[in-house]
Formats: sequence, C-alpha cells, structure tokens
Amino acid sequence: MPNKKTKSKTNSNGNRARNGASRSKTPLLAKDARKGAPTPVSGLRTYSIPDMRLEHPDLSVRQSIEKDKDGTEHVRYEVTGNLDAPVPPIRDSKYLDKKQCIEIYRYMLLNRKMEVALENLYKQGKVVGGVYFGLGQEACSCASAYALDKDDWFAPMIRNQGSLLVRGFRASDTMMQYMAKADSPTRGRDGTSHFGDIEKRNMVSPISMLGDLIPVLAGVALGARLQGRNVAVMTYIGDGGQSTGVTYEGINFAAVQNLGLVLFVESNLWAYSTPSEMQYRCKDLAERAIGYGIPGVIVDGTDACQVYDAARDAVERAHRGEGPTMIEAKMMRMKGHAIHDAAAYVPKPMFDFWKKRDPIARFENYLVKEKKWLTAKENAELISEVERMIEAEREIAVNSPMPTPESAEGGVFCEDGCHEIKPKYGMPKVTKRTGGYKETEAAVHLK
Amino acid sequence: MPDTTRAPADREITFAQAIREALAEEMRRDSTVFILGEDVAEAGTPFKVLAGLLEEFGKERVLDTPISEAGFTGLAVGAAMTGMRPVVDIMFGDFVTLTMDQMVNQAAKVHYMSGGKWRVPMVMRTTMGATRRSAAQHSQSLHAWFCHVPGLKVVLPSTPYDAKGLLKAAIRDENPVVFFEDKMMYKLKGPVPAEDYTVPLGVADVKRVGEDITLIATSSMVQVALGAAALLEEIGISAEVVDPRTMWPLDEKTLIDSAKKTSRVIVLDEGYERYGVTAELASVVATGAFYDLDAPVKRMGAMHVPIPFSPPLEDATVPTEQTVFEAARTMCGK
Ligand SMILES: Cc1ncc(C[n+]2csc(CCOP(=O)(O)OP(=O)(O)O)c2C)c(N)n1
Ligand SMILES: [Mg+2]
Repeated sequence: MPNKKTKSKTNSNGNRARNGASRSKTPLLAKDARKGAPTPVSGLRTYSIPDMRLEHPDLSVRQSIEKDKDGTEHVRYEVTGNLDAPVPPIRDSKYLDKKQCIEIYRYMLLNRKMEVALENLYKQGKVVGGVYFGLGQEACSCASAYALDKDDWFAPMIRNQGSLLVRGFRASDTMMQYMAKADSPTRGRDGTSHFGDIEKRNMVSPISMLGDLIPVLAGVALGARLQGRNVAVMTYIGDGGQSTGVTYEGINFAAVQNLGLVLFVESNLWAYSTPSEMQYRCKDLAERAIGYGIPGVIVDGTDACQVYDAARDAVERAHRGEGPTMIEAKMMRMKGHAIHDAAAYVPKPMFDFWKKRDPIARFENYLVKEKKWLTAKENAELISEVERMIEAEREIAVNSPMPTPESAEGGVFCEDGCHEIKPKYGMPKVTKRTGGYKETEAAVHLK
Repeated sequence: MPDTTRAPADREITFAQAIREALAEEMRRDSTVFILGEDVAEAGTPFKVLAGLLEEFGKERVLDTPISEAGFTGLAVGAAMTGMRPVVDIMFGDFVTLTMDQMVNQAAKVHYMSGGKWRVPMVMRTTMGATRRSAAQHSQSLHAWFCHVPGLKVVLPSTPYDAKGLLKAAIRDENPVVFFEDKMMYKLKGPVPAEDYTVPLGVADVKRVGEDITLIATSSMVQVALGAAALLEEIGISAEVVDPRTMWPLDEKTLIDSAKKTSRVIVLDEGYERYGVTAELASVVATGAFYDLDAPVKRMGAMHVPIPFSPPLEDATVPTEQTVFEAARTMCGK
C-alpha cells in the first residue's frame, strides 16, 4: 500500500530509529569490518554491513614511480595483496531453483557471446564509434535484472548489456544500435545500449552523465507511488560514477521518501584509468548506505547466486514500500574502458587474479560439476544454441539499412498526436479540499 | 609579446601537441600552474592530449580527480582565488553542464562582487565538436552558454599555432577563461615556432585574404571555411576567412573592417545556430558595417536537434565545405 510506513525488522540499517545506533541490552559488540575482530565499544554507535561473499580479496593498488634505463621516471600502478588466494565456491542461493539458475547462466552466455560478436563487428568496420564490454560482470548484470518482476523498472549503465537480454530485448537491438542502423530502437539517433522501452519492458534509457540515472529512477518510483503502486526501480552506478554529487542527491531523496530504488554499485576497481583507491576513501562503498540510513549489502559480483539473492531481497523490500537498498557488487572490469583502451595501466596480476573468478566459468562449474544440474552434453548444447542465436541476431542487425539524412531533422518535440504516455498504474487520486485557503503573510523581509 | 602567426616556423606539430607544449611550458615557468581532472594523469585524457605531463610534473601537479566535475571545478575556484593557477580538464564539453554553478555563480562574479578584491585566474579546458559518432551527450558545442555570462573569457582556437599561444595567454590571464578544443582537430598539423610566444585574447586573425565575401568562422569551422574558400576560388569568388579566436573579449573591429571591405558576410560556428554565437557575431557586423553590406548577414550553425549518432544523420546537422560553398555562391549571385 502506498505511503504506508511499515516497521520492519531488518537486521541491517533500514528504518533504524532516528537516533541512529542499533541498541541492545548486552554490551555492544561491533564487528569491525576492517579488522574482522570484535571490538568492545561503549557509547559508540555501531553499524554493520552484511557481506555475502565467501572470500574477501585484500588487493590494493597504488601509484609507484619506476625508473627506466636512462633514468626517466614512469608512473605505474602496482597491486599488492594475496594474489594466489584460492577461488571461492558459488554460494547456494536462498531462492533460485535449478531451472532458474540455468536460465540465468544462459543469459550470461548470451551476454558474453553478444559482446564477442560486437567485437568482431567492430573489427570488420561495421560498428560506428566504440564498443563497451561487461566482461567479468555478466553475473552482476544478468542475475540482478532477473530479480525484477515484470512491472518493475530498470535502467542499465554501459556494462549492463546483459540486463537488457534478461528483460527480453533481442541481441539484434543492441547490435543495430552499435551499427547506427535505421531499424535500431532509436532509429540511429543514439548508440550502444542507450535506448529504452516504456511500453513492455519498463526500461529507462541510459544517460551518459554518470549518476544522473539515480534520481531519474527514484522519480519513476515516486510517480508509480502517486499512481498507487510500489515498484522496484533498479539501476547501476560504477565505483567511479558514484563520486558524482547527483548520486548523493538521488539516493538521499529515495531514502527520505522510502522509494524502491535498488542501486547496484559496481565496484569493478577501475574508472577508466583511475583506480578506485583514487575515487573514495571508505573501505567498502556499501558503507555509504549507513550515511543514507538505508540497508547496504556486499556481494561477490562474480557469483550470480549472491547477486540474485541480494537483488531479490531489495526488490521485495521495494515492493513493501520500505525504501531503497544499496548493493555493492565486487568484481573487476576485465577489459579496457572501451575497445580503444588496451588498459595497459592495469597491473597484469590483477587480471590474472580475477580471470580465475570468471563468473561464467564458475557458474558453469557449479551447475555441471557441483550440482550436476546440467550434463556436459546439455551444457554443450546450450552453448551452441546460444551461439546459433547470436549468429542469427547478427544477420538481422547487419542487414538493416542505414537511416536517411532527411530523418535527422524533426522529432525534437512531442507534437500533437505524436504519442501518448499514460500513467501505467492508474491516475493519481485527487483529494478534494473543503475549506478555503488560509491567508498567510510573507515574512517581513520578503514583503 | 608579438603575434607571429605569419612568421615562418621550422616545425609542424599537431593541435594536441600544441596544447601539451603550452601546458608544459607554463608549468615549468610558473609553479602555481597545475592540472586537475578525470583521467588526466596516467591516461593523459582519453584523447591523449596530456600524455607525458604526469611523468614530468608528478601526481601533485597532474591530479586525477574522482568523477566529480562540480566538485573539482569548485576546488579550482578556491585554489585560484588564493594564488594558484589551476587548469581544469573537463573530458567532454557536454559535462560542462555540471560545472555551471561554480563557473557562472562564483568564478565569473567574484572579481566584480568583491569590489575588485578577489580574482579567479583559472582555465577550464574542454572539448566541443560533432562528427565523432558519439551521440547527443558527447558531441555538443556549448561555448555560447559561457559567452552569455559577464566575467568569463571564452577561447576557441582553430590551429595548432593559435591553440598554443592562446592557451599560454589564458593561463597567464588573471580571470577565468574557458578554452574549447574541437576534438576532431587534435590531429590537425600546423607550423608552431619553438620559441615562447602568446596570442593575446581579443585579437581576431585573418586566415585568408579575399575581396568578395567574408566568412567569419570559429574553431573547426575555420577549416571548413578555408575549404569552401578554395572551392569558391575555382568559380572566381574571392573569399576572406576571419577567425575571431576569442568570443570574449571580441575583436569587433577586425570583423567589421572585413565586412566593410567585402560587403557580404557569412558567420559559421559549430554550436547551435539558434541563439548561438553566430547571432552575436552577425549583429556586431550588421551594426558596424550596415552601410557597406550588400546582403543580410547569413548565419550557419548546427541544426536545432540533439546531435544524432548515425553518420548519415550526424553529417546532416553541421555546416560542411559544400553547404558553405553553396551559401556563399548564392550570396554572391553566381
Ligand atoms: C559526469 C560524467 N563525467 C565523466 C564521464 C566520462 N566517463 C564515462 S565512463 C567513465 C568512467 C566510469 O567509471 P565507473 O563509474 O567506475 O564505471 P565502469 O566504467 O568502471 O563500469 C568516465 C569518466 C561521464 N560519462 N559522466
Ligand atoms: Mg568502475
């Protein structure tokens, strides 16, 4: 029910009493996330951030100066930490069954193979502009979107091309966007995965300016609530993009208004050439949730089950009208910023470390070897089915014509009869006022 | 310092190199100059314009910022007010929208509002220009926005020579300067002397002398105008190309003198034609050369649409050599 304040018993930071700290009768014991050791505190407020991960990589990156033979100094990034840590298992999902896991796995495969196809199209000179990849982040994109209900909304960022596939867009939609074709969802006016769908799939088109989607999505939730529905609105922000001021403004407003924002913070360790160490000072970005007064949770972004479970909890919280959730997904951007960027600034051992945590390879191993939910043969069939599908989609996309120059002009404004957008969930209620308005006076200095 | 545009230079460098040299030389000359922006250090910006500066000047003076345009522009204002000369890098001109409050409400006004006691000697470098297939949120030319605000100087270099000299002058200027680089020109080569020189802000440059028509052009449109002038020459029309180089301060006299001489003027700019800088430039010329003009001043700028992504669409939105040639030919009655 809209506008209903519910008291929930979340064990994280949601709906905490105004004065802050979680209070308990027993002496306060806070698990200091940084040191992992319980520290006795008295009179101090303590908060905790649930962490669903089965490992806690302790890698850090810093700038160092290297001298070459002739004494010229070069600035390099260096990674330190336990680079040989064993790969953790996939955490069993609280919610997902066999069929659902396989479905998510299939979307992840589609996601990757679509991006391989895009890379090839680029090499063949068929792509206009650059190509962006979500390599290593497929679990985050696909399992998050999978947690949404049909009526929920989402807006992907550039690494979430997989989310679109989960929501029912075709690979050819994105491919045609990249090739700037006339049949692309934007008819050649925008590129990449920058398109939306208000009718069927409830997707708000991405905004290039990082962070701008957060208040926009919160606004979608606000509008839906005025129409009588609590919907979940999911979007993503990078560990770099979250440094923008609009990120703060959007989350804060959603928190104050209990809007169903589900914000994935994609901690992939880099923002173009800038390591996350130069982006923020807190240890985990999920800690920021404490400051907003909303639940924050950390997941392994390469583990589809963890991503799904956290997303589903957040979506259900949104449906109950209890407000936003911040989910930090820890992973690694496994390619450069875009196809033009060789990412020479990334220390190679970092790639090696995360390569072993490839979300698809691990999920495959989980489904085939651990759970035995897929036989090797079924798996091979699934992979070739996905490949055939991508090939067919590629054909469709390549064969679409380019738009004509004449279509550049016009369409800036929605003119009469252009199209209609109705509130999806019903008209907002109008409360009738009985009495007249009270006359009040402006403050003296405003007269 | 003399403007040596026409002085022979014994070397050619690119527009990007010219920018880099200007910054490096000013940073060597003046230890208060420093750079801040996203991906300026290790990456040297996505366009590689700043490559190598980190090595020479270190991470304190080539500072990678978090993705916070509004924040680090404010930081620059504060540093500039108290004795430093920051050069802010805004990766794409489209992101200047995020810096507007600091630029418009603070940087531009501090000197005046403080009764002349404070000043903001900062430079904001950013990009402009379409046809890079980057779609509407990465292709805009928003320089006109800054021109509308008293207190900001606005520079639009069109050659490597001008880029270097103007940037050095901008860094030495005591006021906030917004410096627009057309991203399609970074690879453009041109003669640049090795010696120290500046190009003063507020001095237009005649890029080509002609008799029959004046093409007033800014930034990348100077190259378009020169191309059109070559086509016009083939049909016997002699076109003069004038580059104001800075929108503010504006060298009205050079523009008006050229208009009086040729009696016909087309003004070209890559920003939107509607309410764009071409309107101001045309008005200056129309007023100043009223009795000498044979035709109304014509303006050509970007089509009034968000810049589309697909090449056939995008190419239709900006003036080209061919469209300028046609317009000039019509104006000259040929
Ligand atoms: C407000 C704003 N500033 C700068 C940019 C340019 N830009 C695009 S992506 C990017 C890096 C983003 O890093 P992050 O948010 O960590 O996302 P990732 O690429 O790692 O997924 C930058 C600087 C932008 N799009 N918007
Ligand atoms: Mg990142």
